[in-house]
Amino acid sequence: MTGKRLATGGRIDRNRPLRFTFDGRGYTGFAGDTLASALLANGVRTVARSFKYHRPRGVVTAGVEEPAALVELLGPDASGNRQATTVPLTEGLAARSVNCWPSPRFDLGAVVQLAARAIPAGFYYKTFKWPGWALYAPAIRRAAGLASAPDHPPQGVYETRHAHCDLLVAGAGPAGLMAALVAARAGLRVVLADEGVEAGGALLSRDLLIDGAPARDWVAAVVAELAAAPLVTHLQQASVWGYREHNYLMVTETAPDRPGLTARGWRVRAGHVITATGALERGIAFAENDRPGVMLAGSVQTYLHRNAVAPWRRAVVFTNNNSAYAAAADLAAAGIVVAAIIDSRDQVPEDARARVAGLPLRAGHVVTRVLGRAGLRGVCVASPDGAEARIDCDLLAVSGGWNPSVHLWSQARGTLRYDADLAAFLPDRAVENVTAAGAAAGALGLPDALASGAEVGARVAGLPAPAVPQASDLPYAITPLWQVAHPRGKAFVDLQNDVTVADVELALREGYADVELVKRYTTAGMGLDQGKTGNVTVIGTLAQAQGRAPGEVGTTTFRAPWTPVAFGAIAGQRDGPLALPWRETPVTRWNIDRGAMMYEAGARWRRPGYFPATPDEPMAEAIARECRAVRFGVGVYDGSPLAKFEIKGPDAAAFLDHLYTNRMSSLKPRRGRYGLMLTDDGLILDDGVCFRLDAARWLVSGSTGHAEALHRHLEYQRQTSRPGWRVFITPVTEQWANATICGPQARAVMQALGCDFDLSAQAFPFMQLREGHVAGLPARVLRVSFTGELSYEVNVAPRHLPALWQQVMGAGAPHGILPVGSEANHVLRVEKGFLSLAHEVDGTADPHDLGLGWVMAQAKPDHLGQRAVAIRRAGGGVRRELVGVIPEGDTPLPEGAPLTPGGQRVASEGFITACVRSVVQDRWLGLALLDNGHARHGETAHVRLQGGQVIPVRVAAPIHYDPEGERLRS
Amino acid sequence: MRYDVTITPLPTMALFDLKGRAEALRDWAGAALPPFPDRPNSACGDGQGILMWLGPEHWILRADLDREQALEATLRPAEAPPDLSIVRVSDTLAFFRITGPEADAILAIACPLDLHPTRFGPDGASFTRAFGVSALVAQYTEGFDLAVARSYAPMLTRALAEAAG
Repeated sequence: MTGKRLATGGRIDRNRPLRFTFDGRGYTGFAGDTLASALLANGVRTVARSFKYHRPRGVVTAGVEEPAALVELLGPDASGNRQATTVPLTEGLAARSVNCWPSPRFDLGAVVQLAARAIPAGFYYKTFKWPGWALYAPAIRRAAGLASAPDHPPQGVYETRHAHCDLLVAGAGPAGLMAALVAARAGLRVVLADEGVEAGGALLSRDLLIDGAPARDWVAAVVAELAAAPLVTHLQQASVWGYREHNYLMVTETAPDRPGLTARGWRVRAGHVITATGALERGIAFAENDRPGVMLAGSVQTYLHRNAVAPWRRAVVFTNNNSAYAAAADLAAAGIVVAAIIDSRDQVPEDARARVAGLPLRAGHVVTRVLGRAGLRGVCVASPDGAEARIDCDLLAVSGGWNPSVHLWSQARGTLRYDADLAAFLPDRAVENVTAAGAAAGALGLPDALASGAEVGARVAGLPAPAVPQASDLPYAITPLWQVAHPRGKAFVDLQNDVTVADVELALREGYADVELVKRYTTAGMGLDQGKTGNVTVIGTLAQAQGRAPGEVGTTTFRAPWTPVAFGAIAGQRDGPLALPWRETPVTRWNIDRGAMMYEAGARWRRPGYFPATPDEPMAEAIARECRAVRFGVGVYDGSPLAKFEIKGPDAAAFLDHLYTNRMSSLKPRRGRYGLMLTDDGLILDDGVCFRLDAARWLVSGSTGHAEALHRHLEYQRQTSRPGWRVFITPVTEQWANATICGPQARAVMQALGCDFDLSAQAFPFMQLREGHVAGLPARVLRVSFTGELSYEVNVAPRHLPALWQQVMGAGAPHGILPVGSEANHVLRVEKGFLSLAHEVDGTADPHDLGLGWVMAQAKPDHLGQRAVAIRRAGGGVRRELVGVIPEGDTPLPEGAPLTPGGQRVASEGFITACVRSVVQDRWLGLALLDNGHARHGETAHVRLQGGQVIPVRVAAPIHYDPEGERLRS
Repeated sequence: MRYDVTITPLPTMALFDLKGRAEALRDWAGAALPPFPDRPNSACGDGQGILMWLGPEHWILRADLDREQALEATLRPAEAPPDLSIVRVSDTLAFFRITGPEADAILAIACPLDLHPTRFGPDGASFTRAFGVSALVAQYTEGFDLAVARSYAPMLTRALAEAAG
């Protein structure tokens, strides 16, 4: 041994030293180290301060179960609350301790320990109640807590991808490797995912033989064979952290095989899952068991074998089971003095004794207390008769037994059973197509783990279990010990949340008898580690206090994620501009070039809001200018996103009558009609127009941006409500882009464009359709209007829209044509009292509420939603009805602002659905849904704003402009 | 690039959405249609066009754009009998061809469908999702053709480029 490193061995590369800083001091480690192993190798014992009491904490474990050694990474890798045991060491890594100032060794926050006895679990919530928790929370949270969130988003490139397989094996320890090998040899498509840097699991932490050779050689051979198998995907540093319904699993790969890629998220759909997730060692609760230098015995083996780290001189091993005997032997082999093996069992199995021949063993003894604060100086040991003795040491290696990692199994809603022989919870009945193998299934020795993996892998492949390699291991045996009582010092069951045995007992005294309630009262099992080392100890402590078996106490719910995962690897490439999909119309480029203010206007469509004449023109002026063009001249807007469907079939007419409230089957070819579609429960789903193209074909047009939702509705109705009907639905939203020319001069512009059909009002009246050519382009022209003006909706193939658009602008130039954005469109439709989804059609209104009772065809025997409307209306009650509102004082009204009786601070009687600056009335006016609104025209209602300001509004009919519709029919 | 792929936007193609019973469509269209695929989610071509079976009584005919008018004249959508639906949808989809040794990696990023050769054969064609939006994927000799609604084409261009690195 040289210093704190062993001279040989370990999975580190001594030829690749890496420099790093911790709390501002420089250190050196090796490639293959974790931050934790490098800190241990540099003699750093106190790594962090604890969450609540600011107690010094050191490294306890060597993996994802680490409860104490939490650090904050700095610089480009900035992230808070990282377990030092899972941070691979890299050149230049910078980290600092959590929850301490100025340093973990001298932390001013530790003053809280002086009052520790007065602040047990639940203290804050019981004490800081008046006048309210919110008053105290900021200060308390500043004093407690762990690392702060980084002040900049993570740097890096992330990816998510999908994968499918016959078998996903979670864990590449002996059982997982064996199962994957058997399945791969059987020709199955296998995904093998393991969170370690390299495969092997616990085999890398111990000196074991397989087929007479080091187990690591067997691991290397299996990995090589899997690498050569074409149907195997083998991922390392890949945590299977979420198990969703129907065998859909979430995997995060933190070191993907692509340069520049920070992390990759996998979403794997597996035919079968094998959870070969191993087992985690647990601690024992005794006084001051959180002091730096108290570690789990198996993790000590990991540091010896994987990292060649041995910073200790004199060790005590405290156990209640056989596994720690291997750890004691490994410590002795590494040249560390094993001062004593303290075994709480009176009878120690002979094979365990044989494993540590020559080392001092005290059976029937327990460690009662740890001595030392920031560094372990020794332990107090009690003999069976209660006599205490001190043993000096700088390492206490503890093993309270092993918990099979049942987290994924439980996420899949598999049940658990308590095994008294193993003193652990084991997988019982599966719900999904999943099987546990190896230590995760309770096979805690190497031969059993190999056999278990082979058997399960073969079962999935439909084959008999093959022969497995020869191996031997010290058989596992345990007599559970959950806690050691002692009058002094805190005995922790959850180091991360500073939860002690006393807290658990307090919870019981206060009536929280259920394990889930104990968890919530004490916070035991919450946080980054989710209580991986302490949960079963809590259960055992509860069982002991209640005089029940641990199996009767049961476990808390296991939830994803199994380990902390980066949000980036969940979002993947859906970041920045790709965070949400966006859509463009064929004239988006023209709009941008024209200086339009572009933003999303419905279902991801990127559309022009308005077109400033100059970069300085205020928004309101631009909108008013566009509105005036439509009202008094001519404008053109891009209506391409309007939902459009061709519907055909022998039963199409009946189908449309089923969907719409009014009758569409009576339409003549080339005629159209406004209509409403209702949901099953009689509320408005969509409004639009329906045209008959010919005897059997129909064109259904719905709201802008509503195409996909409407398509789902149409197909749902066709497939489930009328499955026997012959109806064909073809979405053509993207087949027909449109330029809608609107305004008194629209006909003149159409004539200038050149059409091969008669444009006169008599020959081509409102609500009719013509198919022909416009400006020489094949077109389908509809006379509909959303602005209240004479309008021609000129539909062409998207490939033709840019050309049509240019020609429209040219033909309209003599008439002062302007392009019109969605803002002006909104003003114009509000003036006219036309409905808009998500404004007036808010998911609660029925046709009568919106003044559209006329569209509920009484002569029709039935239509979707008809009965629901009738039932609801028969029940009476107040309805919110559409009205126009004109604010007194000519002030704008915020959309969504509540109307309250008299403007008082009472329950609302409605809300403003829209408010615009009208160009025809030159004032603010709006629409609202108001209780009994139809009967209240002429009354004054009151808008109550945040802060209490009240704006009186005059209630009016909702049509502010051309109520007879003369202009749109012109 | 992070992955060894070539991503090529394809020009607009002639597309016709066909619905109805196969025999009725075959009777109506005659030689205008390639042979019908023998199983769902597969395609069949005849050198002139490709017919993709994408759902119950649902096919899409794909051909070069210069055949669009001829196909329209032969298929006569407006005259087809009521129990057949033929709709020209050439402009609805924007196609991208993804080829190269790692084309499958890009598709795995884009698309939740299982496109492994053992599941999605050389004639595979299916509706699916790509980068969160509805899509059509079809196997191509050296990779895949991926199509989305034309309005999403700029978004898909960027998403594919970022996926490829």
